Amino acid sequence: MSGPLNPNQVIGGRYEIINYLDQGGMQFVYVALDQLTGRRVALKTPKNNSATKRFRRSAVVAAKVNHPNVAKTLDYVREGDARFLIEELVEGRDLRAALLGDTTFLDPYLAAKVFHHLSKGVAAAHHAGVIHRDLKPTNVMVVGDYSLTELKVTDFGIAKLAKDELEEAVVGGEESLTTSSTAVGALPYMAPEAIESPSSVTAAADIWSIGAMMFHLLSGNYPYGQGLKAVPLIIAANLPQVPAFLTSNPQFEPLAQELLDISFSCLKKNPAERPTADDLVKRCSELCYSSSPRTIGSVTSYQHNAFGFISTSSGDVFFHKESVYGMLPKVGERVLLASYDGGGAPRALPVVRLTNQ
Amino acid sequence: MIADRYEPISGGIASGGMGAVHKCNDTILERTVAIKVLASNQEQRRIRDEISALLKMRSKHVVQVYDVLTINDGDLAIVLEFINGVDLFDSSNAPQNLEKYLHLLWQIASGIADIHSLGVIHRDIKPNNMKIDHEGVVKIFDFGLSRDDGKAAETLGFAGTFGFAAPELFFHHAKFTPAVDTYAFGATALLMGTGSLPAELLEKPPRCNGSDFFSAVNFPLDATLVALLNSCLCANPNHRPQMGDVRDLLAKHLLFDRHKALVVFDKKASYLDKNRRTVRLKLASIGEISICYDGFSFKVDFVQGEVFLNNRAVVVGDELPGACVVALGSPDRKAHRRYITFDLSNPEIVL
Repeated sequence: MSGPLNPNQVIGGRYEIINYLDQGGMQFVYVALDQLTGRRVALKTPKNNSATKRFRRSAVVAAKVNHPNVAKTLDYVREGDARFLIEELVEGRDLRAALLGDTTFLDPYLAAKVFHHLSKGVAAAHHAGVIHRDLKPTNVMVVGDYSLTELKVTDFGIAKLAKDELEEAVVGGEESLTTSSTAVGALPYMAPEAIESPSSVTAAADIWSIGAMMFHLLSGNYPYGQGLKAVPLIIAANLPQVPAFLTSNPQFEPLAQELLDISFSCLKKNPAERPTADDLVKRCSELCYSSSPRTIGSVTSYQHNAFGFISTSSGDVFFHKESVYGMLPKVGERVLLASYDGGGAPRALPVVRLTNQ
Repeated sequence: MIADRYEPISGGIASGGMGAVHKCNDTILERTVAIKVLASNQEQRRIRDEISALLKMRSKHVVQVYDVLTINDGDLAIVLEFINGVDLFDSSNAPQNLEKYLHLLWQIASGIADIHSLGVIHRDIKPNNMKIDHEGVVKIFDFGLSRDDGKAAETLGFAGTFGFAAPELFFHHAKFTPAVDTYAFGATALLMGTGSLPAELLEKPPRCNGSDFFSAVNFPLDATLVALLNSCLCANPNHRPQMGDVRDLLAKHLLFDRHKALVVFDKKASYLDKNRRTVRLKLASIGEISICYDGFSFKVDFVQGEVFLNNRAVVVGDELPGACVVALGSPDRKAHRRYITFDLSNPEIVL
């Protein structure tokens, strides 16, 4: 257990703490049972005074957005000096834990699916006049890990809280940057104008963040690196280098290239030149991508230097070398795959080697 | 002030199907909400049902429930998303063309299908219980009569709305099934498409055996849609379609010619779409297949020799799933087989 609350404690006369779940830069998150309705909810409470100051503001902002790709705001409770935000409980993990744990990048199909859902959630927020300001992998919840059955953007308006800390960190240099987990997590995805003139950001800053996140998911790299040395690179906004594996395989090249194009359109220095969230939703809906569930298996053999088999919990799966995205796995290595069933052995597409063997 | 938090907005009181609905400002989260208060004890079970249904709901087309309160001395109040605007019964919401009409029906069907997928029956589907929000999204509300699809689904006396109540509801001990909502959807669709309901549907019970109602709508509907919508008004509840199927067929027509397939063969990528409808793939003297886009789906229209789709033998008329692999050559040809992959786009209905 971590943070100020303990199991069985009841908040606001109705929310019974079940367990500690997680913490972000600004807040602790618990799973609680709403005794009045019987449903499980996420209960968030700020970590410190500076967070408390703006906690209600963030709740008010989040409450304006109502969309399946956005975690629903349910209630806000104050008890003495303490503040609690009650939110829809997303039974999953944040995007970094869910999708960047076993691999450092995603295959283009999965990346397209993430892009599509993310754009829809952010578009709904922008329609409601809400700017997220702090889009990053840890503020996106994913259900089903690599099989991704649901995606929900969360922590709207927290960025408004985080802003002070970020400004301090940027001014304070490397030392304060490493002590501010908020700044460390957010900086690689921050738009140039969000660093240069944070008080004047528009919805276009969220678009940049989507583009930066997508580049990261596609390539395995932060577009402009991490830490303080990323700052001048983000401000210069020259497009990042694309690793060769994205476009070297004809099976994946068309989709990967389209995704890169969209991502780069979001990374325009001039906010006015970036697409709107609605534009992104439209472009994503025109992408050809499959959304099949993923499983993990290990390569058991190669034959004729052309194809092989992967052993999975539901039996052997055939794969062709051309269906491998990124580095070719060796026999015995673990891979992530989608398989298409049919008569005989199912066939895998795509196959992605896991980073941690 | 309700529960020291919700401030009634003057002139915002409307009467719902049961109990008063107050338009309020949530002073804590600063959003407008609708609060439905139920005072009498005999209603408590119903509202519990309503709450349990709404709490399960995660549909874009069904009004959101935010919270449940106990106020005064045990009265229940539910806090709901407030939808601004007039309901669908108002003529200002009448669709102006075929596309808008199909959009409207698709959204209603989606909402009802979402409700049914949770094992819940709405029981009072009608234009008055739907609104279009400022983004053009149809929201179904007033679950006042909904009950989980179980033992409690047997009716206790007639409680529907004439014109939208299915014929079986007029008989003693009638059983509520999701098909009741399907009938009401059909009547709603007819009203939205023609501006009124025909006399035989206003009889008690309505006379609706095998009649063609939907040829009369104001828009040039495809024959399969006319048949589908007519089947929603079948007298026999078992002959009415599932709402998920209704939604899908409507979506299919709304997305006509908007799909794209990425085809990768021999390391070369190409696309199939409305501009290029057919692709023919051939491995000399072994196998040949032709796939055609008809505006709805990608279908096999010719096949000869050793051709497999996801490892199954192919026949003319087979539809490509979202992603698939076509193999030319039987498995014993091993490395000599050729594979073609197809990935289909996921076009969306933009509201």
